[in-house]
Amino acid sequence: MRIGRAMGWIGLTAALAAGCAGNGNGLDQNGNPIASSSSASSSSSSSIVTADFDSIQNNVFTAICTRCHIGAGAPEGLQLDAAHSYGLLVGVPSVEQPSVLRVKPGDPNNSYLIQKLEGAPTISGGQMPLGGPYLPQATIDAIAQWIIDGAAMSPEVMSQAMAQRSEQAPFEVVATAPADTAVATAPVRTIAVAFSQEVDASLVNSTTITLEAVTPEEVPTATQPPLPANTSLAAGNPATILIRPFVPLGPGTYRVTVRGTGGGAIESVSGVPLDSDYDFVFTVETPR
Amino acid sequence: MRTSAPRTRLLFRAVLAALLLLAAVRSEAEPYIAVETGLKCSQCHVNPTGGGMRNAYGDVYAQTLMPMEHLGNAADVWTGSLSSFLGIGGDLRYDATVNQVRGQTSTDEFQMEQTRVFLDANVISDRLLVYVDEQVAPGGAINREAYALYSNADHDWYLKAGQMYLPFGFRLQDQTALVQQVSGINMTTPDLGAEVGYLKGPWDAQLDVSNGTAGGPVVSDGKQYTGQVSFVQPLWRLGLALDENNSAVDGRRTAYGVFAGLKTGPVAWLAEVDAVVDHTVQPSNRSAAGLLEADWLIMRGNNLKITAEEESPDLEAGVRRNGEMRWSAVYELTPVQFLQLRAGLRYLDGIPQDDEEHTKQWFFEVHGFF
Repeated sequence: MRIGRAMGWIGLTAALAAGCAGNGNGLDQNGNPIASSSSASSSSSSSIVTADFDSIQNNVFTAICTRCHIGAGAPEGLQLDAAHSYGLLVGVPSVEQPSVLRVKPGDPNNSYLIQKLEGAPTISGGQMPLGGPYLPQATIDAIAQWIIDGAAMSPEVMSQAMAQRSEQAPFEVVATAPADTAVATAPVRTIAVAFSQEVDASLVNSTTITLEAVTPEEVPTATQPPLPANTSLAAGNPATILIRPFVPLGPGTYRVTVRGTGGGAIESVSGVPLDSDYDFVFTVETPR
Repeated sequence: MRTSAPRTRLLFRAVLAALLLLAAVRSEAEPYIAVETGLKCSQCHVNPTGGGMRNAYGDVYAQTLMPMEHLGNAADVWTGSLSSFLGIGGDLRYDATVNQVRGQTSTDEFQMEQTRVFLDANVISDRLLVYVDEQVAPGGAINREAYALYSNADHDWYLKAGQMYLPFGFRLQDQTALVQQVSGINMTTPDLGAEVGYLKGPWDAQLDVSNGTAGGPVVSDGKQYTGQVSFVQPLWRLGLALDENNSAVDGRRTAYGVFAGLKTGPVAWLAEVDAVVDHTVQPSNRSAAGLLEADWLIMRGNNLKITAEEESPDLEAGVRRNGEMRWSAVYELTPVQFLQLRAGLRYLDGIPQDDEEHTKQWFFEVHGFF
């Protein structure tokens, strides 16, 4: 009796499950109509992911991550569809570990995206994609290489960002690396300052961005001669300023000041002023 | 000595009866167990919408009626109580998995899926509690739920405020189920907000307002409104769910759900269909997913779970063109209290050109809970 009933429900389950997967006609590898896909014919999910944002977006973020990371309620607020992913990844602090940027241009090891994909022991929560299958190491390596190369924006995303930019939006510093009061390990070769909007590149120079060494007790007030450094916008990410000291920073305490007042002060590319000076202090220690 | 065993049994029955009476005002478990027993989620869980820490009834049920055998003294039942005010619970899932993706080398690994610790402070007896659900592994700790819950004396309504899982359809154990992915509401996306619930008679209803960012930063003054109502009978249940998220600056996202349960002999059936209209992506997108699950209680402590799921990530493209199916077969053995062994296969079948949609995942899981 019990076996008979069991066979009955197994049969019904099979019948209801007889729905088939889609045939894929007219769709790209992500299931989007080919006509509306920018790279439908140029890639497939089994193709090698290359170290450029378009390839990563099409083959990883759109193809895999947007199963969950889409919409306003995406986990940790991280939407990874093509319209949102770049702006929510590059230079943006992780929600799970706010001291770590999701993507830190030039530094994949300290980018939370890479840590989550590799399942590093330092992450919060589970390895991504949640529950697996996890990304092949070659794919993670390609993403890491994109970060090493400066985490450049693709032309398509850049044009979308330009279109969406609003002059009413606030222009402010949203993150720095190292973070304010953080302790970094020597040598520090690059310092990043991420803004909420793209920065006017013509205003990025040694008068608006200064790096100086201070002693801890002098932090509140002391001013030292600026340390010589190159300042420029991150390649492909004009919302982030990179500061590269001529001599990598050794043990000590340092302050970065972004001048937002006075003539020639930092402004967004659409002319929104920073309105006030911004500074942050970090300490560099000898490696243990 | 000979009289002690009957006395113990008598005591145990008295405790069980008392807990059952107490449980009449609170109740739920894994959804198929709720359907199997004809009870609400709040019957077995501290959280009235299910998941997480078990209440006294849930603890007794999990130790006496779920396992094949109850080891030790029958009256020796853990109820999670550290004191009259403080309770603790935990849940650990440790997996060995083999993943086979078409066109890729298969991978196999051991992994800690999750270790969670629950804490329940019953600060005003049976009326006001403070609850914390903390995932402590893998990796660093991450808070899943932390809220205060106030109930009226009859426990037919409550008010909850804090970080919580949102109520939308069945709270399945498998967080990768397609209906959980399409709705975007599951146990990985708790949100900060407030919830009012109604649990009287056969009705089970909740209404939430939350930030709508699943723990992410708030970027607008919009909010997420989530509600569900279900009618629960001993042999069947039917529910409706609705979610409207206006928190994004670039549009709203609306999800609709219908879910139902049915018990036929030893089999508990679960069905859910969710549809989403998402204006936060360009162009706007309509998607849908459905689930049909059958849980056959072969004998006490032995459950066979068969699940069929279908998803269309873009209804404009059409299910026939871009739909994907996922079948799962999972055997759940609960040999003794606090321990469950699960083994199964999940098979994903999608459009031909996407290798990622042709995946088999074999797994063996050790599930410990208390």
